[in-house]
Amino acid sequence: MCLNPALAPELEKRIPMMEFLDQLWSLNLNRETVFGLFEEGLVFAIGMTAILASLGVILCATPIYSALYLIGNMICLAILFLLYNAEFLAVVQVVVYAGAVMILFLFIIALLGAKKEERELSFQNLACLGFVGLLFCELLMSMMVGKTKPVEGQVTREMVQQVGSAKAIGIELFSHHIIPFELASLLLLVAAVGIICLAKFSHKPLRKRTRV
Amino acid sequence: MIDDIFNFLDPYWWLIIGVVKAGIIAVALLSAVPLLVWLERRLMGRFQVRLGPNRVGPFGLGQPIVDVIKLLFKENIVQSSADKFLFYLAPAIVVFTAIVTFSAIPFGEPFEVGGQRVGLWGANLNIGILFIFAISSMGIYGMVIAGFSSNNKYSLMGGLRASAQMISYELTLGLSALSVIIMSGSLNLYDIVKDQSGSILSMNLISQPLAFILFFIAGVAETNRAPFDLPEAEQELVAGFFTEYSGMKFAMFFLGEYLNMITMSALVTILFLGGWHSYVGLDIPILVFAFKVFILLCVFIWLRSTFPRIRYDRLMAFGWKILLPLSLMNMMAYGVYKVLFAA
Repeated sequence: MCLNPALAPELEKRIPMMEFLDQLWSLNLNRETVFGLFEEGLVFAIGMTAILASLGVILCATPIYSALYLIGNMICLAILFLLYNAEFLAVVQVVVYAGAVMILFLFIIALLGAKKEERELSFQNLACLGFVGLLFCELLMSMMVGKTKPVEGQVTREMVQQVGSAKAIGIELFSHHIIPFELASLLLLVAAVGIICLAKFSHKPLRKRTRV
Repeated sequence: MIDDIFNFLDPYWWLIIGVVKAGIIAVALLSAVPLLVWLERRLMGRFQVRLGPNRVGPFGLGQPIVDVIKLLFKENIVQSSADKFLFYLAPAIVVFTAIVTFSAIPFGEPFEVGGQRVGLWGANLNIGILFIFAISSMGIYGMVIAGFSSNNKYSLMGGLRASAQMISYELTLGLSALSVIIMSGSLNLYDIVKDQSGSILSMNLISQPLAFILFFIAGVAETNRAPFDLPEAEQELVAGFFTEYSGMKFAMFFLGEYLNMITMSALVTILFLGGWHSYVGLDIPILVFAFKVFILLCVFIWLRSTFPRIRYDRLMAFGWKILLPLSLMNMMAYGVYKVLFAA
């Protein structure tokens, strides 16, 4: 094949690359594999974006950017829910966390005037980063285990398709978990009452009104 | 080669149809906005006993085109104290969320083309109405970020006002829509419209008038339109959160507001006015739907030229002390009715 014997070693070097291409073409490139790969790639990409966004939350020096990263992280989680057919959870995630809670965060940051924090590299910071890196590596190692065993509960894929994810959650929540659900709502009520007590009924006014 | 591609994509026609539909809806929506601006200026002119724009083209119809070209070619000014990235991000968020919100709105029965079922909607979601609320609540970020990144106290006040107002009125909006959801038993907008088919008496406006009024008031407040346009009250705040914006970036906020107006009118049409059902015999779904939306848009403009802007503390008190209890009571009443009589 090779006309010039001087070029032979160079060709040999290229062989692994060609093998890879051969493998790529010999892969059965029908639409199922293409779209399957696309879907898995999507899940992976969104998961990685979520991790990067959460790293941004803790590593960013400006509070407002941290808050924006947190919003990004929540949206990524919502999209992940969406990819696993949990539409209702995805939307609730966006409405409650990204839509309401984070707005209040931004509110407070904007009112307090966010200044850029001084960043110093201390031993603690390095230790923290090392710890986070270690955890991340362990997570990556868990990928070696392969697919986890799916848990079959009362809410199956067929049931969700039949009644819709909102109804499925409603049935589950109001038949099996009604007492924890009500207790959680009581807890939130206590928090709301506490805030009103703190804000409204202070005995000593902090500053007197100058206008009469 | 072309055949191969077609064979490959054959079971994925829905993808191609979806992309084409998305393109059509986005373009139609964006080109409706200049017309809406023209309509508003003409109608406002008539309400105030003057002519409105009438120089460029017949009936001044060339005015929106001229305005768009002017805005596109204006100088792009970013003041040096602004946070550049966020300053550019804010208008993008506003327009993006406004367009995406409309994608979940159905405006007609599905029809068949070449063996493919084409629905007249961007996406028929099982959680349609929740999706719309979720995405439109993301639009608030655009305003807060615009107010914050401009580094201007008027902008900041405008942004804060916008977010506080929209969060408070969102509650009323959601709760009054909930009574419709309770009665129709579905979060899917297509099902809600189908539930109202038949005679004119099955329209939700007839069976749930209080919910309609609450929803419409909250909708006007959500879109920051007069008399609830506190975030951009020009006498107090120059122009609110977009004081520092100029040229096309300013136009994008403008665009977002009008897109939200169209989406809100469409939502009211679907929830309360029976969507594309005409009830009087004329049966061209898209035209009927567009007509109802048009009427509601005229009401929006009518409100703007009739009512003065209300004071900020009254706005908050009105939202929390009148609208919210009323909508809660309304929801309770329809819930009890559903459980006792209609189950």
